Amino acid sequence: MLELDSVTHRYGEDADAATAVDGVSLTIPDGEFLVLCGPNGSGKSTLVRHLNGLLEPDAGRVLVDGTEASEDPVAARTTVGMAFQEPRDQFVAATVGGDVRFGPENLGLDHAEIDRRADAALAAVGLDGRENDRIETLSGGERERLAVAGALAMEPNHLVLDEPFTGLDSPAREGLLDRLRGLHADGTGLIVVTHDLRELLGDADRVVCLADGEVVVDASPDDAAAELPEYGVRVPDQPAAGN
Amino acid sequence: MSTATDSVDLVGDEVAVNLVRAALVAALMGAFAFVSFPNPLNPAVPVTAQVLGVFLAGIYLGPAWGGFAMLLYVLAGALGAPVFSGASAGLGEIFGPTGGYLVSYPFAAALIGAVVHGVDGLVDPEGVSFPRLVGAMTAGTVVIYALGIAVYWYYLDTSLVAAIVGAGLAFVPAEAVKMAAAVGIVRSDEVQAT
Amino acid sequence: MLGYEPGDSLAHHLDPRTKLAVQLAFAVAAFAHTDPRGLAVLTGVTALALASARLSPVSVLWGYRFLLPLLAAAVLFELVTLGPPWLDPAAAVDPLLASYRTLLIVGVAAGYVRTTAARESRAAVQWAIPGKPGRLLGAGVGLVFRFLPLLRRDLAAIRDAERARLGDERPTRERLRTVGAAGLRRAFARADRLAMALTARCFSWNATLPRIRLRAVDAPALALAAALLASVFV
Repeated sequence: MLELDSVTHRYGEDADAATAVDGVSLTIPDGEFLVLCGPNGSGKSTLVRHLNGLLEPDAGRVLVDGTEASEDPVAARTTVGMAFQEPRDQFVAATVGGDVRFGPENLGLDHAEIDRRADAALAAVGLDGRENDRIETLSGGERERLAVAGALAMEPNHLVLDEPFTGLDSPAREGLLDRLRGLHADGTGLIVVTHDLRELLGDADRVVCLADGEVVVDASPDDAAAELPEYGVRVPDQPAAGN
Repeated sequence: MSTATDSVDLVGDEVAVNLVRAALVAALMGAFAFVSFPNPLNPAVPVTAQVLGVFLAGIYLGPAWGGFAMLLYVLAGALGAPVFSGASAGLGEIFGPTGGYLVSYPFAAALIGAVVHGVDGLVDPEGVSFPRLVGAMTAGTVVIYALGIAVYWYYLDTSLVAAIVGAGLAFVPAEAVKMAAAVGIVRSDEVQAT
Repeated sequence: MLGYEPGDSLAHHLDPRTKLAVQLAFAVAAFAHTDPRGLAVLTGVTALALASARLSPVSVLWGYRFLLPLLAAAVLFELVTLGPPWLDPAAAVDPLLASYRTLLIVGVAAGYVRTTAARESRAAVQWAIPGKPGRLLGAGVGLVFRFLPLLRRDLAAIRDAERARLGDERPTRERLRTVGAAGLRRAFARADRLAMALTARCFSWNATLPRIRLRAVDAPALALAAALLASVFV
């Protein structure tokens, strides 16, 4: 379970500090598929970076399974896996297999366990058998899926994806979404950050919308769909029926 | 699913950022090897941007991480990343006649960084005086050519004159152009040092 | 361009440390025996190294062709004199032997480059240099391999944009400045995102090293390295 309690985050110093996240409280149970939306600059990325202790709040608390994220960053980062925007800039190795092993290697696991996790993570995103492929030969959709695999290899309870659909064509979006549905069905919690809901509404358990660093919508997808356009968030023309 | 997390010794944020910047400056230096320009003073010898990479490493990363960045460049090249002139790689380059230049880069970048920043923390390069910048790069260039020419001379068993003409004089004027370019970059406000 | 390619040659199966040992021993031996007899023997060793990597000498020469003018210049400079007898072949012998030695060392090294993946090299670095310095060097080398193609593409895009604006007519200093500034700006932007991603994946000092293991095939290669080293003292 992830708990954000009155989290505030500012960038910059004293007088000219800009408040990116302003007193946000959220509780995210294990296994929940949450869509976090809002216009550009609404504080979405800043907010989620508190969940694994990449950022520390200026005020408020972040609890990961009851422990403050800053107290035990390793636990926070293995509980909350994260894939960022611009997947190209988050790969650390030249090959698919080398990259997916990076997280487990950092945890000091033995080779058998690293191999097992790498195989499982690549299989979960449909990149099994591609271990030796060079990363620059991957398509946009494959890159995004590899970024997901890199996070999955940490065996997290929650997976945070920051704008995973940006720049993907329709088949690639659908392919990624299929994999995410599978992960969700297997019990992994998903937190998808996006400014564009389109096909996500039908799958999400819950939609949270940020504007100017504050939560303005926190509802089921059906209830949220009516309110979102007001905050500049695109929703499907025909709101998808809930599950 | 948390693992036993107590035993994981995380690398601090600051070291991680510095390491990554050093590695990307080393990679940029390798990418510079592919970029050549006509030499205004000697059309027969095109200017590659590589020494500009040494200047920028010292100026933007300081003595420690700038030197480290160049060490990464040389090591990655020796181990097979195609970062040396003509996109070549391999330990053979280090033991080749131009190996002296390669070996000099970490020292030159560290020296440039030390002159620009001092040894006591980093300063904003934009605030560094023109004479200090040029002095730093001149000192770095002297290190590069001293080692470069010495190795070429020793290695190929030529006379010292032949080495100085063949490995030094033909290239030195182009370095002044790169220094001017480096000063332009520092003054242009396009690159944020931190 | 000569680079790593996955494969099944003998050299692919050797431990990276073995291959590094052979290269270093070869270089030392080549410097100790820069005479026709020594270089003849070492030519045989080079042929062996290239064959074990299934590399042709021609492709190696082509990969390092930019070296050739430099080597030729050294020979010519000594061969030609500024007065009678105009040509002095005796003076050119030493540079000629040294140039040939260069090609041999480069050839053996090319075998390593072709057959060794970045992961293996990184593991060898961290084996040779333990502790935090080794970790920083190993991780850094891996990142250089990973980001080189990206930054090359960045620079190519910057130059294309330049050309589109008639940048070819501007002085070299200006063009170097533009390409340098834009290249560095992009590299730093990528670095900030990458550092965040490393941290999110628990970038640690005590990570498990990629697997490297000495096996039976390494024995003859290590014996070769030992013989090369021993030859220095003969």
